[in-house]
Amino acid sequence: MPPKPHRVLLDRVSGYADEAAAYMRRRRIQRKPFARLYYRGGRAAEYPADSTAGAELFVAANAVIDLAAKPRLVPKGRERKRP
Amino acid sequence: MPDAAATAPAPADAEAALSFLTEMSPDLRGGAILTADGTVLAASSEAAEWATEAVALLSIADATGEEPVEQIHIATQAGEVFALRAHGFAAVAVTERFALASLTFFDMRSALRELAKGSGEGDPEPSDGQGEVDG
Repeated sequence: MPPKPHRVLLDRVSGYADEAAAYMRRRRIQRKPFARLYYRGGRAAEYPADSTAGAELFVAANAVIDLAAKPRLVPKGRERKRP
Repeated sequence: MPDAAATAPAPADAEAALSFLTEMSPDLRGGAILTADGTVLAASSEAAEWATEAVALLSIADATGEEPVEQIHIATQAGEVFALRAHGFAAVAVTERFALASLTFFDMRSALRELAKGSGEGDPEPSDGQGEVDG
């Protein structure tokens, strides 16, 4: 006896979702740090972390990331007053 | 050459552009918008520190190649850094890991385009789809 049509559809959607979840898991596990630079005209260059230029880029990027973690400073007199 | 004072965007416009970026990108942790000469127009935290670090990042990236870089995407274990030069401005953004690069760059480019429209700086619609780059 063939399965009901909606079962086929559900199985197919579940299959796609499983594939996508597995892809995201693999991406999270396997993805390594990278530094990519893009130039006018679509040219791109990638610098591995163990290269001299790559190491400098990662140091600069980490400094920017640390900066983003800092809270925003509100000038005196512009603090939001709670109602 | 246009008068820089006349074309410089108001800080409120730059703040609005940064707010737009924050609103559009839920992964965004912080960022800054700078002029081509490295002056910070808006930043998510201390502007002077953003000026130093963002300019250093762009300078290092420029030094790696023979021409000024237009986009930077650096992914680390701690987060991802995006930088874009377009329409006479530069935007630097820090996001969570695995943020979608194409969408982030699209939002950054949109924010800078709107900022340029407001200030009359640069060409809002470049013919080649790329923003102008001023090293």
